[in-house]
Amino acid sequence: MHVEAPSFASPEQRVGVMSDEAEGALEHDRLIEAVALRRDREAFARLFEHFAPRLKAWLMKSGATAAAAEDFAQDAMLTVWRKADLFDARKARAATWIFTIARNRRLDMLRRDARALPTPEIEPTEDEAMRPDAILAMADDARRVREALSRLKPDQIEVLRLAFFMDSPHSEIAQRLDLPLGTVKSRIRNAMIKLRTILEPSEEASR
Amino acid sequence: MTVAARNPSEERLLAYAAGTLSPPEAVVVAAHLALRPANDAWVRRLQSVGGEFLETTRPADLSDGALARAMARIETDAGEARVPPPLNDMAELPEPLRRYALGPWRWIGPGMRVRDVHAPRDGNCRVILLKIDPGRETPRHTHGGVELTCVLSGAYATETERFGVGDLEEADEDVLHRPRVVSDEPCLCVVALDGQIQLDGWLGRLMQPFVRL
Repeated sequence: MHVEAPSFASPEQRVGVMSDEAEGALEHDRLIEAVALRRDREAFARLFEHFAPRLKAWLMKSGATAAAAEDFAQDAMLTVWRKADLFDARKARAATWIFTIARNRRLDMLRRDARALPTPEIEPTEDEAMRPDAILAMADDARRVREALSRLKPDQIEVLRLAFFMDSPHSEIAQRLDLPLGTVKSRIRNAMIKLRTILEPSEEASR
Repeated sequence: MTVAARNPSEERLLAYAAGTLSPPEAVVVAAHLALRPANDAWVRRLQSVGGEFLETTRPADLSDGALARAMARIETDAGEARVPPPLNDMAELPEPLRRYALGPWRWIGPGMRVRDVHAPRDGNCRVILLKIDPGRETPRHTHGGVELTCVLSGAYATETERFGVGDLEEADEDVLHRPRVVSDEPCLCVVALDGQIQLDGWLGRLMQPFVRL
């Protein structure tokens, strides 16, 4: 199994491109809306060119073959086409929405592998009535999340990334990083605690 | 810390957000999140971390003609039926549990009933609803595997903790416990159960052959 160097840009690299990125993200929101409103094929093609290679990379990191990962990316993008009308830029930006679509797809694949009984398609993140706390949670999240991540240590970001991208329990992450399981667990826990204190300083007490 | 004990661990919330939690456990966590908006908001924020990771991941090369295939697919796509399965007969359940078919209630001991939730299984791990009458104590037991429990109504207490509506308990093989219902109404829980519950003590040994959970 090969180990890929973390591709997360350092904070220094990020500062200069921040505004371009913010614009790019906004543009992706508009593209999904164009697909929803007008079934805009050009908009879909641009979304595909941006997100399909990233979805494929994600699945390959989780251990899928290139062919299986590309099928997954194709299927996930077809879901984007079908469900574009459920996209709400106030709740989640494009990358987060497409992430949750892919996440639900992956969960469905796990279900099918696991002798599935009837599987209702329940996607509470998509069509439920919007609650005020959900709106607040999502407001301006891209910038805050990016800032929060830039304050984590590189090894914390690395384990978090793997936790998001690999199907596996922590034992596989430990194997990949050649670290004891306990180290991986405590590193993930510390990264999560740090993220929470940065992103939710006021809610810490209420938990 | 007692408060943290009634919430999912950070690792479990992360796995839920990432979509890597086993399907039965994900069903129980979804029920918990429906009853705990603050944790639900946190999971959404974790998903935006996932979105950021997706955005900043180094893109893989697609095979030749990938875009053309995608465009051809959307041209011929007939869409997808978005008809959700019918609601089940328990209006008191939180929304994420309403569309799973439910098995019949079964008696498993004095004041104790279970019913299967026809949610996806994962090996031996499956989802059940457990209803226990006020004042009842389940036989002292250990667990064959990880068990996740979310209280949907009523409350129960173990030797060390009290669990009320929305609280989530994570028990594993090391935990030996004897929950007792402490509410005036029956306590209804949704449980992801891995393997059989190993009953312990003389009553447990007596009952074990009759209890199929």
